[in-house]
Amino acid sequence: MKKSEKAIALKSAFKVNFKRSKKWENELNKCIRCGYCYELCPLYKTFNWESDTPRAKLLLIYGMIAGEIKPTREIAEKIFQCFYCENCSDNCSAGVPVTDIFTDARADLIDAGFDVEGTTTRVNEELCSTCGMCISVCKSEALTFIEDEIGIKKVAVDKAKCKGCGLCIATCPSNVLSQREGFEVSPTELEAQVTSFLKTNKDAKIVAFCCNWSVFPGLQLSESPTLISTSYGVIVTMCSGRVTPELVLHAFKEGAWGVMVSGCPPEECDHDGNYKSRRRMLMLKNLLKQLNIEPERVKLAWFSRGESIKLKQAIDEFDKEISKLGPIKFPSVINYW
Amino acid sequence: MKKIDIKKLKEIVGEKNASDNSVDLYAYSRDASVHQAMPNAIVRPRTIEQVQKIMRYANNNKIPVIPRGAGSGTSGHSVPIDGGIVLDMKRMNRIIEIRPNDMLVRVEPGVVDDDLNRALKPYGLFYPPAPASSRIATIGGEIGANASGVRSVKYGATRDYVMGMKVVLADGKLVNLGSNTRVHSSGYQLERLIVGSEGTLGIVVEATMRIYPLPKYRCLGIANFDKLEDAGDTISEIIASGAQPSMLELMDGIGIVAVNKALNLGLREVGAIILFEADGNVKSAIDYEIKKMKEICEKHNGYAIELSYDAKERQKIFGGRKKLFASLSKYKEGIICTDLADDMGVPNSKVAEAAQKIHEIAEHNNVIMAVYGHCGSGVIHTKIMLDTNKKSQWKDAENVIEELYDYIHSIGGVVSAEHGIGLSKAPPWKKARKDVVPVMRAIKKALDPNNILNPHKLMDAPDNWVKATNLRYMVKT
Repeated sequence: MKKSEKAIALKSAFKVNFKRSKKWENELNKCIRCGYCYELCPLYKTFNWESDTPRAKLLLIYGMIAGEIKPTREIAEKIFQCFYCENCSDNCSAGVPVTDIFTDARADLIDAGFDVEGTTTRVNEELCSTCGMCISVCKSEALTFIEDEIGIKKVAVDKAKCKGCGLCIATCPSNVLSQREGFEVSPTELEAQVTSFLKTNKDAKIVAFCCNWSVFPGLQLSESPTLISTSYGVIVTMCSGRVTPELVLHAFKEGAWGVMVSGCPPEECDHDGNYKSRRRMLMLKNLLKQLNIEPERVKLAWFSRGESIKLKQAIDEFDKEISKLGPIKFPSVINYW
Repeated sequence: MKKIDIKKLKEIVGEKNASDNSVDLYAYSRDASVHQAMPNAIVRPRTIEQVQKIMRYANNNKIPVIPRGAGSGTSGHSVPIDGGIVLDMKRMNRIIEIRPNDMLVRVEPGVVDDDLNRALKPYGLFYPPAPASSRIATIGGEIGANASGVRSVKYGATRDYVMGMKVVLADGKLVNLGSNTRVHSSGYQLERLIVGSEGTLGIVVEATMRIYPLPKYRCLGIANFDKLEDAGDTISEIIASGAQPSMLELMDGIGIVAVNKALNLGLREVGAIILFEADGNVKSAIDYEIKKMKEICEKHNGYAIELSYDAKERQKIFGGRKKLFASLSKYKEGIICTDLADDMGVPNSKVAEAAQKIHEIAEHNNVIMAVYGHCGSGVIHTKIMLDTNKKSQWKDAENVIEELYDYIHSIGGVVSAEHGIGLSKAPPWKKARKDVVPVMRAIKKALDPNNILNPHKLMDAPDNWVKATNLRYMVKT
């Protein structure tokens, strides 16, 4: 721990006022730690540590309120790691509003001076052109223009409000917004997952980018011999709004025959990422036509929460269509990619 | 206890799989019980060799090792009462092989029950003893607690499925117990000794489990009763009649109100409901069993009986039962569901009497208790619902437990039917099984002379469950 952080931790032991979090004390008691929340948590599935489960984050908040543990940078970092898919809250039969509690704890920790990143968006201020496109796509109102002390306009991120959907990152024309690597959803990490699937699976044909809301609960925690070597690979991007044309083209370049992008149906996306995705895929299809690549190789489909069976059927149908087309016959121009 | 050398542990399992960070230690300090205690390190092994090395290190330095699966135990089994190393087994999560011709599966201990069943489904097979928490429960944890579930009335408990296992002993030696054959008569059945041992005898690193063909048909019935004792009598008579339910569940009025509030299921708010199910490959045989059970329900004033072969409809009703545990906190504002007195076993003929008695004991001790469970197998689940902020309510809970288990013993019941003893059920269990405790201690001493494997649990747990560890609740007044 750096000296300054140690100072914050010590100071905060006396000065953090968990005024927002304290109102949830009864709800925190209701959490019986059955663990049904972590089965559904994409962060737990990435890291597999108990401390990444929603129940453990509630426990950490509880511990701070009760005075059993002192707020530290490490604890704050965990609390700021959440994609707000709300699978945990929706499936908690004790009715604990898990993500609402996280938001209040975040606000309390910010008030106490903790400045951590978690899954929130960061802005490279030096390169940001302050075009404001990110502000217009953020449904959580986490991004705003501010002026610094010498009157320079900047984009500021309210870390208590940022839900880490990544839509702003996929929208930024200057690529100056980012999220910390390690959560398996940054553009580089998504590309690496695509490459890994296509290179390690000889039967691979289809890459299915699925949003966390429509693919669940098809994912599982154990490794099984019956679940390897499929012709399709499911890659969870959190919101479908994260899927950029570049990512789809990367999949084609790495050998995919077809790419399916699935998101929530219109009106159902918490972030409106599905609309962005629809527009982008339409433009991409036009581009593919010009490159003599069949536009049918890109499919956009909508699935509501819990429609994983429908999703599987759609992938199977797409597989049949794509098998008829065969592998992409790349025009020579593609070699320049 | 010697200071734990985290560097050494990181050398064994890799930098990212061992931690002594205070955030991780706090996160692993609890399970679903009322207890809490801090470990000194968390280690997440991936291979048998890694487990052996960890055990050798721990044994040489006399450091406690507490194996942990999903951390969903209800009695404090994985709460590290003496500190030490928590061994998170969830990284050992490979289904090693499925052998349909031998009707067996070999799995690592971190495999999740529902995942195993998902993997078996394409073969038309299943692993039956699913507890209600099967969506997260690991096979290793199920072995440790001898878990069973809603279908135990027909399919039994985990012990009935264990054929063999690989176990790392306290000194790091690897032993192969049992066999891959369906029967064996080759000395002590040591694989069965490990079942229900709650991590006190060895670390299960691989298990060979029996599997069964999935039945073609399942029919679920739901019957309403105005009086709890009528529902209890129905269950006793169904079992005595020779009917063969694959599930026979009871849920009392408190449970019904709670699941309705939590899940909006729209169940009739009556004195009790019974869920009964029959499964098999011949539809007429299921119809026969269901008809028989329906008639017994009607004989004991059961009404508005609905039957369904439809999987979705069954899932909707059954889903409420699976989430009942957590739903109970929704029963009444200011009252919290605590995991105490949660799974006694009673003779089938005593279900009605016991259900009534539990409500009586709760009432005169100022707490609320729901009665539900796999009553067809004699499993009665309860939870004590109380105001956790009040010191006096914890005294009430202590009184309930003492009175309740004295009663359960008087009718020939057992303290735990499927969740295990851990910390919170140890005092009444030790009181009732004075003859067995020394035998268990002798076995423990022979296999773990340094007492490093999940120490001070089961027969060695403290005599006062409230003071065994800090309570995980903020008790104020």
